[in-house]
Amino acid sequence: MPADLHADVAEVLVAEEAIQARVTELGRQISDDYRGRNLTLVSVLKGSLPFMADLMRAIDVPVRIDLMEVSSYGGNTTESSGLVRILKDLSASIDGQEVLLVEDIIDTGLTLNYLLRYLRGKNPRTLRICTLLDKPARRLVDIPVDYTGFTIEDRFVVGYGLDYGELYRNLRFVGVLRPEIYSEQG
Amino acid sequence: MTEPASRTPSQDGPGSGTPAPAFAHASEAEMSRILDYYGVRWRYEPDVFPILWNVRGEVLESFSPDFYLPDLELYLELTTLRQKLVRKKNRKLRRLRELYPDVRVKLFYARDFRQLMLKYGKVSLADTLSGTPGQVTPHRSADDMLAGLPPSTASLPAIGVAVSVPPLAAPPLAAPLRRRVRHRDPRTTIHHSTAEA
Repeated sequence: MPADLHADVAEVLVAEEAIQARVTELGRQISDDYRGRNLTLVSVLKGSLPFMADLMRAIDVPVRIDLMEVSSYGGNTTESSGLVRILKDLSASIDGQEVLLVEDIIDTGLTLNYLLRYLRGKNPRTLRICTLLDKPARRLVDIPVDYTGFTIEDRFVVGYGLDYGELYRNLRFVGVLRPEIYSEQG
Repeated sequence: MTEPASRTPSQDGPGSGTPAPAFAHASEAEMSRILDYYGVRWRYEPDVFPILWNVRGEVLESFSPDFYLPDLELYLELTTLRQKLVRKKNRKLRRLRELYPDVRVKLFYARDFRQLMLKYGKVSLADTLSGTPGQVTPHRSADDMLAGLPPSTASLPAIGVAVSVPPLAAPPLAAPLRRRVRHRDPRTTIHHSTAEA
């Protein structure tokens, strides 16, 4: 466990102030787009938790929220099956609902592709995507993103929900770790 | 377009029962597991794209991307080797895109692969599977590398004993014909006077 999370950060890629300003803008845009409609925000645990918490408070139309968690490749809990699994499903039906999927980051698009297929099977009226970070350089699955906070270069980032080894999620900015951190923990 | 007489080993998703192909590099085996995990169907090196011909129309150089993802209509090429080889692969990819503009190919560099391993908490594999150390040898399979196993000492020669190492995975001459070859009329393309080795 690192003694000082900030000391492990080599560079701040997106500052706290920039995140908050952009989240406010996104909230305003989403509010305008969904005014007069019933919106359900679906957040994907764990990485999008801070983004979801800030975004929902920046939206001024009525929203319902729900949470999902999907296993990740390499995770210990899923080694036996070898297939992606829903670890936490929606707690309410989204049949006929206007759904906005809230993601922390999209890079390969593999997880998102799986989630979209799964959610479409639940017959939402509309299904759109909002991501804080988009890393298009490594995209395998082309998925149109409706709301994007920041498009970032191809670097491994942590903070504001994003982790490395389950740490650094509570940083208030998005940053890049010092390279030796990976080798120390790898 | 010439259709293949038969296909190379292919994988049509997890649980399909199709045997996994013999990967040339451990990073390819790892990528196949990632694709399986997320339910993305793939085929290993199913197509060969001629990219250079001589004046008689004979193919001098081809490019065979590592994976084809049929549901995404995307070819995927992993490049975890050293910079000189990356440059060569970049050149071949540019040529392929010129000749086959409707073909979508995504190139995954060593850095991309490393970040993927970081994301999945497999940083220790990033170095093991990248570049020369990740290449399959006669003594170590891709699965051995993923499992972190050393080369089989039983099959290694004793130190000081002169050996003649056969070429790695040298295919029979007819092997490329087993794959689907995407032909383009060479008369419509610019001929290069020399082919890069």
